Amino acid sequence: MLHLLTDPFRVVFMQRALLELILLALVSGPCSVFVLLRRRAFMAEALTHTVFPGIAVAFFLGQSLLLGACVAAIASVLLLGVGWRDGRVDHDGFLVVIISAFFAVGVVVVSRGHSFASDLTALLFGKILAVNRAELVATFVIACVVVGLLVVVGKELIAVAFDPVVAVAWGLPVRFLDVVLNVVIALVVVASLKAVGTALVVALVVVPGAIARLCSARIGWMMVIATVSAAVCSWIGLAASYDASLHHGIRLAAGATVVVLLTMTFAMVAAVTAVMRVRDATP
Amino acid sequence: MKHFLDVMSTALMHRALLEAVLVGALCGAVGVHVVLRKQPFFALTVAHATFPGVVLAEIAGLSFLVGGAATASLVTIAVFVGSRDPRFDSNTVVGIVLSGTFAAGVLLLSARAGGAKDLSAFLVGSILTVDHRDIVATLFAGGVIVLLLAAFHKEFVFGALDPVGARASGIPSAIDLLMMLLIASAVVVALPVVGTMLSVALLTVPALAARLWADRVTSTVAVSAAIGAASGVIGLCVSAQFQIAAGGAIALSACAVFVVSLLIAPRSPFAQHVRHGLRQLGATGRSRLDVRGDA
Repeated sequence: MLHLLTDPFRVVFMQRALLELILLALVSGPCSVFVLLRRRAFMAEALTHTVFPGIAVAFFLGQSLLLGACVAAIASVLLLGVGWRDGRVDHDGFLVVIISAFFAVGVVVVSRGHSFASDLTALLFGKILAVNRAELVATFVIACVVVGLLVVVGKELIAVAFDPVVAVAWGLPVRFLDVVLNVVIALVVVASLKAVGTALVVALVVVPGAIARLCSARIGWMMVIATVSAAVCSWIGLAASYDASLHHGIRLAAGATVVVLLTMTFAMVAAVTAVMRVRDATP
Repeated sequence: MKHFLDVMSTALMHRALLEAVLVGALCGAVGVHVVLRKQPFFALTVAHATFPGVVLAEIAGLSFLVGGAATASLVTIAVFVGSRDPRFDSNTVVGIVLSGTFAAGVLLLSARAGGAKDLSAFLVGSILTVDHRDIVATLFAGGVIVLLLAAFHKEFVFGALDPVGARASGIPSAIDLLMMLLIASAVVVALPVVGTMLSVALLTVPALAARLWADRVTSTVAVSAAIGAASGVIGLCVSAQFQIAAGGAIALSACAVFVVSLLIAPRSPFAQHVRHGLRQLGATGRSRLDVRGDA
């Protein structure tokens, strides 16, 4: 049984894919806990759409896709930071306008190119099995930056997530910290692009944190559980998609398999904890 | 210009224009409730959730709309039930459901032989291939949605503005579920026009722009429907003239209307701020003149 989980990784491209996903798990685990605590799921989803025009324009101009994604992500984070907010156009509303505009620009740019369908599909769903050495290095660098940022302002971010009003009273720069968190999310999104594509990145920055929240209420443990669950699901997901494609003739997209496993894990943990709670409540 | 007029006079383009106006107006009307209830993320999720349904429908040889409607309603119920867990805010639940369903769609698609050739039509819409059946389906669904919106108008608005008060005065929470199902139906109807990724643009941006022009909910609905229909027409014309994707052009037109509204609409916070600044500038200028006149 165990050989099903180890055999696929004798191949170099599978090793690279696993390494990439484990690097991503190391950053998306802690990041997803903050996304959960600070209620930034919609922000994360928005970023996955706003990086799209950056990628499309970079592709059109023949520049690095990662660079284009970074530029678009940071532009949207800044736009949101300076955006108008009041009762009529609230945070989420403004976010939707930015998503729509950015994504539509991406679609228009791609539609002017020649190989519309296949380009779009590759951008949206990622190509984890085609990760190369340079991309691994890029992911590693982004991971270091993210971990560095989280180590520096982690305590403050937790304080803000716990009670924003008290955080303001303590003199913490809450708005600045929110921008930092958004930058962290943007970096994780950009780093995950190659692995799972813009359409599935949100799974990596939302689901591990939610699984962890089901298991624990302590932030330290939540980060550990989130990271471990992301890494384990990546491993099993990659092995499953390899095995199904090679031995059973069912082609399963690797990135999507990992995401489906993550959400299934969430559903199972949710069911188990619900049963346990019911049992605790009825002595 | 001649080429443009030629394109616009074809039967294909007339059908596309009709569909764009219908869907734009419908999404505009429903969108006001999406914005009032702060549920744009939910609308986005339903749009993504139609994806596995559409893939399944394609494998089974059924219509896009049937598959999309089936998974959209399943996901709506999942979000409705999941949002009752106090440990998660509704956005987290929505995010989990979104990633799960979308990944399931990708998996189905990759498992099916034949690759991803029809994917872009679904993702960004293909309004130029709309046929009579699509228009009839839009008319039918639109009629039902508008009837329900009118019939439960008071309950919907009450529930959106004061959920606790609505519950206390005996309005069942099923009314929230009904609203979510209506949003989901609007998304499914918009699929052939702007595709899954941009239907959220038609469902929120016209409504956000309309809020800058009107105060009462009923007048906001009217303005929003008008902006939605206008975005459809403008986008379609722009896409025909410059040969760009119609879905993208329609979404960008809606965003352009929003930006213009932000600049000039009477209730826009930005325009109010600018007007206030100008008035102050004018006041100080006048007082300086007065002083000089006295001297």
